[in-house]
Amino acid sequence: MAAEVKKGIDTTRNPIPFEMAQIPGPEMAKCYMPKVMGAIIKKAKRPLLVVGAELFDDPIMFDKMIEMGKMGIPIAATAHSVKGFVDRGYLENVYQIGLHPLTNYLRFPDWKGLDGQGQYDAVIFMGIFYKFANAMFSTLKNFNRDIKRISVDRYYHVNANMTFGNMAFTPDDYHAAVDEVIAAMQK
Amino acid sequence: MATREGSFSVEDMKNVQINIGAVVKEADEWDQEMGPHPKPGVATLRSWDHMIANRYKIMYAPADDTCTLCTYGPCDLTGNKRGACGIDQAGACGKIVLIACLMGTCAHSAHGRHLYHWCMDKFGDMKFDMGDEILVDSPLYQTIMGTKPKSFKDFNEGLYYLEEGVVQLLAATHTGQESAYIDFESKALHAGMLDLLGMEICDMLQIVAYNMPRGAADAPIIEIGMGTLDQSKGVLIAYGHNLAAGAEAMIYAEENGLWDKVDIGGVCCTAHDLNRIGLGKGEAKVPAGIGMKPKVAGAIGWWRKMVRSGVMDCVMVDEQCVWCDVLEDSKKRKIPVIATTDKIMLGLVDRTNDSVDAIVDDLVSFRVPGVAILDPVKAGIVGIRTAIAVKPKRAEAHIQNLITEAQFQEGIKKCTTCNDCAFVCPPHIRISKLIGDAVKGDMTTFSNTYEICVGCGRCEQVCPQGINILDLFEYANRQVVKDQKFKMRSGRGPARDTEIRSVGAPIVLGTIPGVIALVGCSNYPNGTKEAYDMAKEFVDRGYIVVTSGCMAMDMSLYTDVDGKTIWEQYPGGFDGRNICNTGSCVSNANIGDAAIKVATIFAHRNHRGNFDDIADYILNKVGACGVAWGAYSQKAAAIATGCNRLGIPVVVQPHSVMYRRSFIGRADKPEDWMVIDARDGKMQQIEPAPEAMLYIAETKEEAMVEMAKLCLRPSDNSIGRSIKLTHYCDISMKYCGKLPDDWHIYVRDAKDLPITYKEMMMKELESKHGWTIDWKAKKILTGPLRPADVSFDPTNLPRKIRTKK
Repeated sequence: MAAEVKKGIDTTRNPIPFEMAQIPGPEMAKCYMPKVMGAIIKKAKRPLLVVGAELFDDPIMFDKMIEMGKMGIPIAATAHSVKGFVDRGYLENVYQIGLHPLTNYLRFPDWKGLDGQGQYDAVIFMGIFYKFANAMFSTLKNFNRDIKRISVDRYYHVNANMTFGNMAFTPDDYHAAVDEVIAAMQK
Repeated sequence: MATREGSFSVEDMKNVQINIGAVVKEADEWDQEMGPHPKPGVATLRSWDHMIANRYKIMYAPADDTCTLCTYGPCDLTGNKRGACGIDQAGACGKIVLIACLMGTCAHSAHGRHLYHWCMDKFGDMKFDMGDEILVDSPLYQTIMGTKPKSFKDFNEGLYYLEEGVVQLLAATHTGQESAYIDFESKALHAGMLDLLGMEICDMLQIVAYNMPRGAADAPIIEIGMGTLDQSKGVLIAYGHNLAAGAEAMIYAEENGLWDKVDIGGVCCTAHDLNRIGLGKGEAKVPAGIGMKPKVAGAIGWWRKMVRSGVMDCVMVDEQCVWCDVLEDSKKRKIPVIATTDKIMLGLVDRTNDSVDAIVDDLVSFRVPGVAILDPVKAGIVGIRTAIAVKPKRAEAHIQNLITEAQFQEGIKKCTTCNDCAFVCPPHIRISKLIGDAVKGDMTTFSNTYEICVGCGRCEQVCPQGINILDLFEYANRQVVKDQKFKMRSGRGPARDTEIRSVGAPIVLGTIPGVIALVGCSNYPNGTKEAYDMAKEFVDRGYIVVTSGCMAMDMSLYTDVDGKTIWEQYPGGFDGRNICNTGSCVSNANIGDAAIKVATIFAHRNHRGNFDDIADYILNKVGACGVAWGAYSQKAAAIATGCNRLGIPVVVQPHSVMYRRSFIGRADKPEDWMVIDARDGKMQQIEPAPEAMLYIAETKEEAMVEMAKLCLRPSDNSIGRSIKLTHYCDISMKYCGKLPDDWHIYVRDAKDLPITYKEMMMKELESKHGWTIDWKAKKILTGPLRPADVSFDPTNLPRKIRTKK
């Protein structure tokens, strides 16, 4: 157990698309450990956290996202997920925007970002309806490869650059993995 | 020498070939001049399409990074690489989009072609007459073709036009043909326009041939659902979209007094159309007494649940949206299948030329699981006689349609919680949780998810324990199915001209906040209740809500606190705070028709052969928004794309990413939002309205916010803009807990502001956006990107600039 804690949660298991038939082609996502994921997000110059309405199914995730937001990462609240942030009184760097228009903007290098400060270099997806997130990752994968595609969701996201394996049925491990990502970002 | 109109004789001529084109006499009979684009070819409206595509950026979400269409493949196109033939990823996506749209267009158009032949054979050429209250009787046909059909025969020209268009477009998808994605999309928009035309031809033919209701706002409220089928009789199900065989079955039952022995239930759009036939007054060849006897059994999404619930004895399939395993599912339960069109023959033996007695005998004795009969009359007779005769035989055979409690218990105990089922479930139901709860004796989660389950059966195929999961759902919801009776308003057909006259100005000025057209099928991301919730939200707010097909059925499953379905809560007119069921899938054409009629009846725009002018009017002035929620098929892709070419934006559900392409604007690029003011030809920047042409929403809540937003139009007057902004903001407040981030973009004047938020908004305009406000006069002094101007006449077509006479 102690060794497990030291090594952290293994997020590289089960690299199978959550919708099994989503096999896009020769380039598929790699699974990473949370600490690596956290370090890479920390290194990003213009990261954007993109969250969706599945957070309502696991409300503790709102708190974890707010924790990330407080570290200075702006949050794009897609679908109606902004309600979760309103309810928690956190709107500091939260923007209400649909995932579809957001992805449309992300594919153009000349977009100035939600804050007008310029295009992002990394997007971190979380809590979005799987098929939709997968497709929007596909748009970026094919049409703007300058943005790093990171998923910290509980699914293996095949069109991301970096993802966890499937953790949809191990919520405790998943929560712990996200905590590890946050901890690594705080280092 | 001419002897009479339309014919002449030539004497004493040998070996002379005379080719005669169409005789055009319309100028005498129609007060509109021919527009610039009658029967537009593939490239005729290309500049209009490119205008759309330049403002609403074509965005692809490839479902596949490879191309496997030719022998060079598979080619890896990841990162927009080019394949061996030279096509890049965007072009390859555009090609697939075009093919998908053509599939949908062909489905509707071939349906129209079949109905044309069938109606001509059965009824002969009939006068095309939509009645005194629908004088603009075929708006799409007239706008696209530039002619008015006078009789059935005239529709043949439209069908030929469609068929040529489809062939030309499909040819462009061959390797080594079109490669530019923007031109694939122009072609897809053309295919979508043809699809609208094909649907209109279908619906007009069947409305006139079978004397269906024409614009009946008071179409009756009927009972629908599996519980309406009388199990003491033989139950014949007519499933699909083409009414021919189902209608013949009804006629046979009526003429032979068999309704005490047989019940006919429709599934999918055939259900709507059989019901609409019964509501007609009865032509000589359609017996008057059919009335409400045919039942609306249910929507496409209910099919697999229906077949497992043991409610049917025989099934006739016609065309479109028929699940491909219909024969296997039916065979297991000894339900004879009759395939009635050449579109779907299921590998069955063609028995069209055999005697009715021989076919019925083979089906009733279960010697064959089904037959193909391509003569609708014979198919209808066989269907009725088989349903009646097979019922006792099926009882004698002790077919186990339903699982027992012991089998249910055995099934749930086999679950090992491997969750393989969850990996393939479209709406991501955690099936192992339902089973776990059932093991503990709690069936509520099985019940609560019954309407979320889309009935696809993928879970059963991957279950390593071989659990028949849909059977578990059936067991857990048996009483629900047995009692399933809901109320729905029958299909009313098109909007009447008088209705358009009454709502034209309020729609264009914005005082009716918009027209919401809800269409869709079975693949709802979170169950059928979403159909009800969305309709309810908008009809309650005073929008005109229009729906059709399976979505009209799906939204009927829910009631308010008083136990009333949405159809009982609101009237059925084409008016604010009304909800209309236009009819079956092909009746979706009536939605485009209504938008055209606003332009031509209210605004007196010439629509004849003038598609882009009408589309331009709709895009700038008619606050309409289509919603394809739950849509699964290529037909839906074609319909949405056709609406887009007509200037109507569409919101789709998250599963619709499988269509691969969307159209969405960049609000941050002012140069994309320039229009011509037709009064003087000057360019004017407008707010991004409508902001998207094809918008993908993740949840129904997001969809509803966007639907309200997509009803905004540059021509809104201040009262209209204020009303529209009120709903946009209210819906956002309701579901998102806050005002949308971009509300200020749509404010041109203080009068545009929603009254309820006015004070707060003015403060925010000043403090957050730097606008200057005259607080005494409560006026905005600087800030908006343009002033409100009631006579502003926005257009995207230079030819619409008014010239001084």
